Amino acid sequence: MEGAAVRRYRAIFALTAPAYLWLALTVFLPLSAMIYFSFLTQAPIGGRAAEWTLAHYVAFFTKEVYWRNAWRSFELGLYVTALCLLFAYPAALILAKHVKGRWREALFLLVILPFWSNALVRTFSWTMVLRGEVGLLFTYWAIVIGLVHAYLPYAILTCYISLQSIDDSLIEAARSLGASPLQAFLRLTLPLSTPGILAGVILIFVPVIGSFMEPRILGGKNAIMLGPLIENQFTAVFNWPLGAALSFIILAIVLLILLAASPFLRRQLQ
Amino acid sequence: MARLIAPVLARLYLAVILVFLYLPIAVMMTMAFNTSPLYEFPFEFNLIWFKALFNNERLLSSSLNSIIIALANTLIATILGTMAALGLNRYEFRGRQLLELLLLPPITIPWLIIGVSMLIFFYWTGIGRGLHAILLGHVALSLPYVIIVVGTRLKTYGPTLEEAAATLGATPRQAFWRVTFPVLAPSIMAAALFAFAVSFDQFVISYFLAPPGISTLPVEIYTSIRKGFTPEINAISTLIILVSMGIMLLVARYYRFGGER
Amino acid sequence: MSRVDLEHVSKRYATVAALHDISLSFRDGEFFGLLGPSGSGKTTLLRAIAGFVEPDEGTISFDGRRVENVPVHKRQIGMVFQNYALFPNLTVAGNIAFGLSVRRITGAEASRQVSEMLDLVRLTGLNERKPRELSGGQQQRVALARALVTRPKVLLLDEPLGALDRRLRQEMQVELKDIQRETGVTTIFVTHDQEEALTLSDRIAIIDQGRLMQMGEPREIYERPATIFAAQFLGDANVFSGRRENDFLVLADGERIHAPGSAATVVVRPEKMRVFAARQAVPVEASNRVEGNIIQAVYSGASVTYHIRAARRVGRPILVFVQNLEGEVLAPQTKVTVAWSPDHTVPVEA
Repeated sequence: MEGAAVRRYRAIFALTAPAYLWLALTVFLPLSAMIYFSFLTQAPIGGRAAEWTLAHYVAFFTKEVYWRNAWRSFELGLYVTALCLLFAYPAALILAKHVKGRWREALFLLVILPFWSNALVRTFSWTMVLRGEVGLLFTYWAIVIGLVHAYLPYAILTCYISLQSIDDSLIEAARSLGASPLQAFLRLTLPLSTPGILAGVILIFVPVIGSFMEPRILGGKNAIMLGPLIENQFTAVFNWPLGAALSFIILAIVLLILLAASPFLRRQLQ
Repeated sequence: MARLIAPVLARLYLAVILVFLYLPIAVMMTMAFNTSPLYEFPFEFNLIWFKALFNNERLLSSSLNSIIIALANTLIATILGTMAALGLNRYEFRGRQLLELLLLPPITIPWLIIGVSMLIFFYWTGIGRGLHAILLGHVALSLPYVIIVVGTRLKTYGPTLEEAAATLGATPRQAFWRVTFPVLAPSIMAAALFAFAVSFDQFVISYFLAPPGISTLPVEIYTSIRKGFTPEINAISTLIILVSMGIMLLVARYYRFGGER
Repeated sequence: MSRVDLEHVSKRYATVAALHDISLSFRDGEFFGLLGPSGSGKTTLLRAIAGFVEPDEGTISFDGRRVENVPVHKRQIGMVFQNYALFPNLTVAGNIAFGLSVRRITGAEASRQVSEMLDLVRLTGLNERKPRELSGGQQQRVALARALVTRPKVLLLDEPLGALDRRLRQEMQVELKDIQRETGVTTIFVTHDQEEALTLSDRIAIIDQGRLMQMGEPREIYERPATIFAAQFLGDANVFSGRRENDFLVLADGERIHAPGSAATVVVRPEKMRVFAARQAVPVEASNRVEGNIIQAVYSGASVTYHIRAARRVGRPILVFVQNLEGEVLAPQTKVTVAWSPDHTVPVEA
């Protein structure tokens, strides 16, 4: 009897180990290394010695420039998430409830397609539109527009999945009990679709606060946010430990958000 | 009556959304075929920017790098990912949920952070930057998607098919190749195409892990944009986005048709 | 065609005993039903025989040869799963021929056997269809053909008719029985439907909470259930319990019924009882009598079911099935005498 159990575990290991070892090497260990670096005075590479310090974290919490960046990233995240969901929810609702059959699939695909295409190119394409007379290029709002454009399909997707799973007969039952369409929506549809909305919030807010490409391309000098700031530490200023510390702060925020939402996410995943 | 207006308004709204989504892409593509190097109207059809691409050494070499890495990425991620999906979905064991949860960080953590941490770690451990490092990074990003796509299909079909094959006398290997694999094939295909797109389109990780002088296509485009607009960027971007969307249409086809019983 | 013997088979999952010390013998060629409620362990038992579940204790033998260490694909069994598990990428012929191709039987010989099987399950000509194009009943027959073509030693059926509607189920029950008789393969099937178990099986085993409750021929178990559980699971039963007084059982309200033996609880089947209105004469042989009032009379065409509250008793109503001989239905509130013969008073374990 033990032979079979051992064989089973060996099989499970053989199948899953390669992928997870790869992830460990390229994601989990690096993240740990990054956290480690954030507590050093300088990058311990090329024979340089480094000491423990909390200086970078202290700097973040005390220097106004970092706070400003963090706040602007946060603010950006809020704007983009709110705008995305505001525009996405009606679209998802229409797709889920008012369009039927082949049209629905085709439209859905059309909506999702830009999202799965090259993000860099899509961002670049906005520069074509926003420059010149439109004059919005290199402003804060250009960044917002670019990011909303990037994540809108994502928001539509999560809301759509949630809305679609609501059985029509529930709405019919509500109507038969005397609820007007608006009441049925507010008291039934909306609450039942909150998992989708929540998933959308998380899946948009998190990447946005960590974004640097869109701010740089669309915002130019106006890209005063954590993302570009972190990127700077690694490509221009070469203060890796500071960059690591700032990254860890974002990472911590992300993990906190995920933890807070994990009961909801778990239900969604099922 | 509100009843009559509502459907019209609804369709209109969807149309507006779609226009918003495709507008910049359409503008960019139009400019790619426009003669004017300064993106000015009137529009005059011309292929000169596309032809110019072929003379641009850097764009060509970075395109080649992108394609090679994407192909290698597809191969590795699809094989490793499918194996992992099988391990996770055909066996019950403690820690299975934990492993499934571990797939979330690569997808949800902003790429900036992952890229930065890879840079740190690779430098520190001597792996360094370069195409090999970029490949390491791309596979890491593709794996969760492959595992989820293939895993979902495995969950749908359950282990009963393989059990049935066993009762008919098939060894586990025979059961896998003759029953599981054909059923999985469409989703493996979809996952592979997805992995290719993820790698080909990937910018952030490639940006951090590319050493001076060597890059992938998205990185090359980025540096060109930062230096100043050149019309060739429009042309190559048009090509990329068409390829990108084409791949995704294929993914949709495989995933959908595979999903039908 | 094999004999299957289980001896002291036990299986635990964490702290739950899914199977507890089960010993059963399945005779060569018989149609055996494993009957029990959901979660009773009957499917676990079936899967243990198949080889998907390894018993913690005990032995399983086919024709005297122990098979606990033999992997599934070497046991030469045939199995039909609850959802049929037809291979979606193969045609009907491909599905049926699968077991043959694994045994290196291909080409013309394989086609011949496939057609033979299709004839047996009455699906001739559907060779090239794909599973998703078939109806539920057709899929079930393909699953059966696929399992039988390899001439298995034992055929295992996991709730084979559960997904079919009533009419189809009844048709398939007859066909299944015919096919089994024709092929003569030892067949073990799992069901929670007592009617199905009664009609199909040569012998039945009632399983509850991992234990073997009772085993025997359907008639035997039905007429002489050993426990209240068996009595109530296989059919309806009226349960009477009370104090022993030699050959009589004194019920809570003082009524005495003749119940030979020593059990404190007895069970009487509703169809063995008769109902007599006040003026009617009660035959002598129906010497066990209880007075009561009709609460409800349910007319179902061929029979009438009376729900009767015994006078002075609080407890569950007595259930009586009366054959519709005269087309008369006694009204609720009518005072009646429920009478039955002591021969039909079955002692049971509580």
